Amino acid sequence: MELRLNSIRLIEHDQAEEFTFGEIEKMEENMAIAFINPEDFEEMYLTKSLKLHLFNEHGEVVVRFEQDEKIPKGTIAMPVSIWSNQLTSTKNGKLLNKNIPVNCEASRDPPTKLTELIKKIKKGGET
Amino acid sequence: MKFKKIVCTGCSLLCDDIIIEENDNGRIEQIIGACVRGKERFKSIKSQNRILTPLIRENDDLKEAAWDEALKKTLQMIEDSSNPILYGFSTTSCEAQAEGIRLARAIDGFIDSNSTICQGITLEKSKETGVTMTTLTEIINKGDIILLWGFNPIESIPRLLNKILFSRGKFRMTGREIKTLIVIDPVETASYKIMGPRDIPLLIKPASDLELIQALKKICKEEMEIPSEGIAGIDKMDLERLVANLVDSENISILIGQGMLQPSDDGDPLKELLELIEILNTVNEKGRVSIIMGGGHFNMTGFDQTALSLTGKNHSLQFKDSTLIDTEDNIITKIEKNDFDLSIIVGTDPISHLPLEISKKLVTKPMILIDNKKNSTYYVADVVLPTAITGVETDGTAFRIDEVPIKLTKLYDPPNDLPSDEELLIKINNKIKEE
Amino acid sequence: MIIIPTDNFMDLYKLLPQTNCGKCEPKTCMAFALELLKGNVKIADCPPLSEDPKYKDKLAQLQELIGAEEGKKKELRITIDDELCDGCGICVTICPVNARYCYSTLSGKVPDYPPDEHQLFVIKDGKCELLALDQCRRITAQGRERECRVCETYCPREALEISYDIIDE
Repeated sequence: MELRLNSIRLIEHDQAEEFTFGEIEKMEENMAIAFINPEDFEEMYLTKSLKLHLFNEHGEVVVRFEQDEKIPKGTIAMPVSIWSNQLTSTKNGKLLNKNIPVNCEASRDPPTKLTELIKKIKKGGET
Repeated sequence: MKFKKIVCTGCSLLCDDIIIEENDNGRIEQIIGACVRGKERFKSIKSQNRILTPLIRENDDLKEAAWDEALKKTLQMIEDSSNPILYGFSTTSCEAQAEGIRLARAIDGFIDSNSTICQGITLEKSKETGVTMTTLTEIINKGDIILLWGFNPIESIPRLLNKILFSRGKFRMTGREIKTLIVIDPVETASYKIMGPRDIPLLIKPASDLELIQALKKICKEEMEIPSEGIAGIDKMDLERLVANLVDSENISILIGQGMLQPSDDGDPLKELLELIEILNTVNEKGRVSIIMGGGHFNMTGFDQTALSLTGKNHSLQFKDSTLIDTEDNIITKIEKNDFDLSIIVGTDPISHLPLEISKKLVTKPMILIDNKKNSTYYVADVVLPTAITGVETDGTAFRIDEVPIKLTKLYDPPNDLPSDEELLIKINNKIKEE
Repeated sequence: MIIIPTDNFMDLYKLLPQTNCGKCEPKTCMAFALELLKGNVKIADCPPLSEDPKYKDKLAQLQELIGAEEGKKKELRITIDDELCDGCGICVTICPVNARYCYSTLSGKVPDYPPDEHQLFVIKDGKCELLALDQCRRITAQGRERECRVCETYCPREALEISYDIIDE
C-alpha cells in the first residue's frame, strides 16, 4: 500500500539522547518505529506481532509500528533518525523529508539493526 | 547546600534562569526549572558512551592512541588532501566557530554548518526582501498574535510557549487571555491542545503552503476576494478571521519551522512568505510583523552571525589561496558531486541526519570526527578526537533563537584534561602555520 | 480509590434550584454543589429539592449522578503523570496562585528556590512536582474562582488531572 512519509521530531524518541544514555539495543527499540492511522492498520491486514517493511526508490528498512489516531489517513510518521533517512532524499541542495511516497507491507523480519545500516552505507548501498 | 544560577545548552532557547543545587562536594543534587532536554544535557557528563581518549582506525577497528600520534595523523591527512570540507559547528561556542573558519582559510577548504539545511536559507533569502527581527522580551511584553507555521515547539523547544504565550508581560498583564495563537500545519500536532476560545487552528492540505501564501498576498492588497470554497483545505470563515487578525493587530510574530523549508517544484514558498510579510508591514497601519526562525541545536544561529561578521557570507564558505571565492554549492551538492577528498566533522552526526544517498558518498573518503560521545558517524570515522562538553565543562558565547548573544557558564573541569573545541582547533591551526 | 463519575461540580449545580434561598448550611447553591461533591452534605439537606414537586426530575437525575458516593467524604487530588510530563513549565507560569506570590513567573521565568510557601508547582529534574495543595484556588477561594482548572486545560501533554477521590477511612 502506498503512503506518504513525514519525518518529525519527538521528545520521547530522540536519537541523540538515546546515544548519550542507552545501550545500542535500547536505542534500536526506541528509534526503529513508525506511527500509522488505525484505519490503515485495518486495511493492511496487520496484527500487533508483525513489523512494517518500508521501501521506495531510495532505500528500504524494517521497523516496528504503533497506532495513533492523530496521524491523518494515508500518511505515516517516523522520528528523525538513521532509520527514517534511508527513505528521504535531497532536491536542489535541500533536504526533502516530508510528504515522501513510500510503499508499505507487513513483514515477519525483525527490525533492521544499526550495524546492518552502517554496513549498507559503507558498501555503497549494495544489499 | 549551595544554589547557583546557570545557562542551559539543551536547545536554542538558552534559558538563563535555571537553578542548580550543589552538595558539599560540588556535585549536582537537583536541577530546578529545566525541561527534560536540559536535564539530559547536564546528566550527559556521566554518560557511558563518552569518548575519553583519541582513537585511530586500523583494519576496520578503532584503537586507542596518544594525543601526539593522533594529532600527527590528523595533520598528515590534512596535508595529503587538496579539497577538504568541514561540517557541523552548531553545538560548539562562537569562538570555536571562528577558529574553524580560520582553519578552512588556511587549508583552502569549504566550511558549512547545519544551518545550510535549516534556517541559514531563510537568513540568506531575507537579504533580497528585507525582514524585521524581534526579541523574546518584546513578544512577552507587547505581543498580540503568535503564528506557528510548520513549527511544533512542544516537541523541539518545550519552554518556548511557556515563555512567550503564557507569561504576563508589562503591557499584556492578562497573559494568555489577551494573546492569540494561530497554528498552520497539515497534521494535528500537540500545539493544538493548548487552544483557547480566541485561537485559530488551521489544518492545511499537505504541500500547499505556496497556494495559500500567494492567495494571501493578493487578498491583503485587496486585489482578490476570499473564494467561498476556501483555499488549500481551509474554509472561508477561518480565512476571514486569519486575514482580519493579520491586517488589524499591533504586534505579530511569525515562527517558521522545518515545515516551511521543504523545496517545491512550483516556486519558492519561503521567499513568497517573506514578501507577504513585507506587504503586511505596509498595509497594517497600527503595528508590524516580525519573524523568528526556529532551530534545534543550541548555537546554529551563532555560526550564521560569526561567519557574517568575519566574511560577509553566512553559510557555504569556499576558500582558495586563502581568500573567499564565490560559489553556488552547499555541503549537499559538494558531497553529491564527490567534489572533496577529506571531511572534518565537528559536533554533529551526518550519517544519521543526512539521506542515504549522501552518507554513502561521504564515507568513501577519509574522515576526522571531533565530538564528545559516540554516534553513528563514530562507527565510520578514521580518526576520532574527543573534546569537552560546551556549556557544562567550558564556557564561551552562543546565540539564542532570536539572535541575542548569551554567555555560557562553566560548572566542572573536563575529565582526562580534555581540551575544548576552541583549544583543539587553535592547536591544529598553530601546527599548520609552523609548516 | 473510587473516582466520582463527574468531578465538575457545575454539572451538579445545574440540577439544583439555583435560587440561593438560604435554607441549607452553605447558604448558596454554588457552595452547596461543591459540598455535595465532597461528601460533606447529602441531597436531602436541600429542603426545596426534596419537598417541591416541580424539582422531581432534577432530584431523580441528581440521585442517579451521585449514586452510591453520596455522603462519602472526598478530597481534592491533582495527579501528575511522570511519563507524559516533559517539564515545559506551563503549569508553573499559568497558575494564578504562583502568579500572585512568585513575581518571576510573570515573565515566564523560573521562581526562586527554596520555594515560597504559597507556590504550587515546581519543575525538578525535568518533571513537574506539586508542593502545597492546600494553597490551590479550588480550596481557598470563594465563588466562581473555585472552579479553576487552568493547569489541567493548558497542559499540552494532558499529564495533569484534577479529581475528587474518596478518602480511605
